[in-house]
Amino acid sequence: MLKLISLTLKNLTRNRRRTVLTVLSVAVSLFLLGVLLSLYTAFYHRQAPDAQALRLVTRHKVSLTQEMPLYYGSRIAAIDGVENVIVLNWFGGTYKDNRPENMFPRFAAEPDKIFDIYREFKVPPEQLEAFKRDRQGIAIGSMVAERVGLELGDRITLKGDIYPFDPELVVRAIFEGPDDFNSFFHLDYLEEALPEGRQGHAGTFTIRLRSTDDAARVGREVDEMFRNAPAPTKTETEAAFALSFVEQLGNIKVFLMSIAGAVVFTIMLVSANTMAMTVRERTAEIGVLKTLGFRAGPLLAMILGEALLIALAGGMLGSALAFGVTQAMANVMVAFFAGFTMPLWGVPVCLAAALAIGVGSALVPAVLAVRTDIVSALRHTG
Amino acid sequence: MNRNDSAPAVQARGLTKEYRRDDFVVTALDKVDLDIPDKAFFCLMGPSGSGKSTLLHLIAGIDKPTSGEIRVLGEDIASLAEKTMASWRSEKVGYVFQTFNLIPVLNALENVELPLLLTGLSKQERRRNARTALEIVGLGDRLDHYPRQLSGGQEQRVAIARAFVTDPRIILADEPTGDLDADSARDVLEILAALNGNHGKTIVMVTHDPRAAEYANMRRYLEKGSLQNAATG
Repeated sequence: MLKLISLTLKNLTRNRRRTVLTVLSVAVSLFLLGVLLSLYTAFYHRQAPDAQALRLVTRHKVSLTQEMPLYYGSRIAAIDGVENVIVLNWFGGTYKDNRPENMFPRFAAEPDKIFDIYREFKVPPEQLEAFKRDRQGIAIGSMVAERVGLELGDRITLKGDIYPFDPELVVRAIFEGPDDFNSFFHLDYLEEALPEGRQGHAGTFTIRLRSTDDAARVGREVDEMFRNAPAPTKTETEAAFALSFVEQLGNIKVFLMSIAGAVVFTIMLVSANTMAMTVRERTAEIGVLKTLGFRAGPLLAMILGEALLIALAGGMLGSALAFGVTQAMANVMVAFFAGFTMPLWGVPVCLAAALAIGVGSALVPAVLAVRTDIVSALRHTG
Repeated sequence: MNRNDSAPAVQARGLTKEYRRDDFVVTALDKVDLDIPDKAFFCLMGPSGSGKSTLLHLIAGIDKPTSGEIRVLGEDIASLAEKTMASWRSEKVGYVFQTFNLIPVLNALENVELPLLLTGLSKQERRRNARTALEIVGLGDRLDHYPRQLSGGQEQRVAIARAFVTDPRIILADEPTGDLDADSARDVLEILAALNGNHGKTIVMVTHDPRAAEYANMRRYLEKGSLQNAATG
């Protein structure tokens, strides 16, 4: 068999355009598989950063759109293992217009607690003080400042949509840190502006734990505490909370795996068609080789080897593309694609898929070709 | 000299080959009795569809008879298992096709080397033997040429070199000049005659060209699957 490797390699050059196109089709499909694996990993297997692992998020058990009483915060803070609790109310609203470059997350929160809960955000002390002092101050992440074009001292007005209030704010602090595409303004400012019936509510509570070991217990205790209250809660890790947004689209896990399976299967059919064509064209040649004394086994290995080489070349190209593209997206668009890089285990998965495509596409035509009796093979004019 | 050396190169008794086509049975060979002595240049003639190629296929062991017995170099080849048959064929038989059937992605040297891959020879030995074979057929200066860079006559000479490079005792040639012009055909026939006369190879050649048949020292005619009169010359 080893001696036929040279012939296998030369066969790849027989119809260069077809070989290249087949390699590219496999590469594109495995690139998509790699990207899907990256999404899957980003959603379900991303190692939470140390700071994030220490945080839990409590929300209304029914839905994020349901609010909880603000006083839950002080009761949660009393639970053993809780270091601090902050109210985060998603303000939403519009800055200038709805163009993408003017969109950024906006939360109303307690200014004293923000940078204690989110310690990965670094802010100069004087800016922090200025932010705390100014009831209309807003702290924005450096990515927001860069993208929206804001500087310290800039005045901005948000148009409320969830809340019937248009806050007028002054940029008092610009913080930096991982995933700092975010902004916070004073919860008090919002509370005072709201009509009486809408005051005193929290969208979510973010809990900072003393130790990650307490996460499961504290989560259970919070939810147990409010189990029979008018607003029962659901407490989960920050990573799980983030994932719940994605899950609103449906069962993402099944969705991703279905697409990945469909992509690989479809390209296997395309490759199978190509391989069948390739083998059919070479049926007479297989008859010649058998006439010379070559047995079915080595010939089968030669045909399969050719398909495997094409598929592996496509697999390596696709994996490299997926790795590079996801890395580039993660670097360039960190706000949206943080953690979105192809995992290293994705490479062997893509290569295994490539092997499956190679074997799956070539096995049947190869077996049929080497089983054809010599006389019929020699008469073949395909 | 072993037992097989003293046996006739080919011995057939009651050799019959039938093909089934839907509900019809076509008899390609009908109870053929044939003896081809060792080291003969044997020519099998007959019109198209007379069964010449079928008989050659049975001698090469690439097809099995429906009934009857065929011994090639003393071996009852119809009884050999496929794997054994493949090994036997690679050692004992060289085969020349009408349409050359060279591998287009391999150059002349690599094409001739191909059957040697089934031997235990080192790469160096394989290359040396393939080069010698090509020199014998007058293509020592075309080693690196690919089939598309050769004329039909040159391609057939490469195919002949591929057929005898393993030093088989018998060379089967199926219409070896069928696709060639007169000059190239003569070159090819002279090479076959030299392999027979100078190297002691048994040549079994199928042709319907009387001029080609003149190179043989033994000729038989097939008509509708039956062997006709015997002739030597």
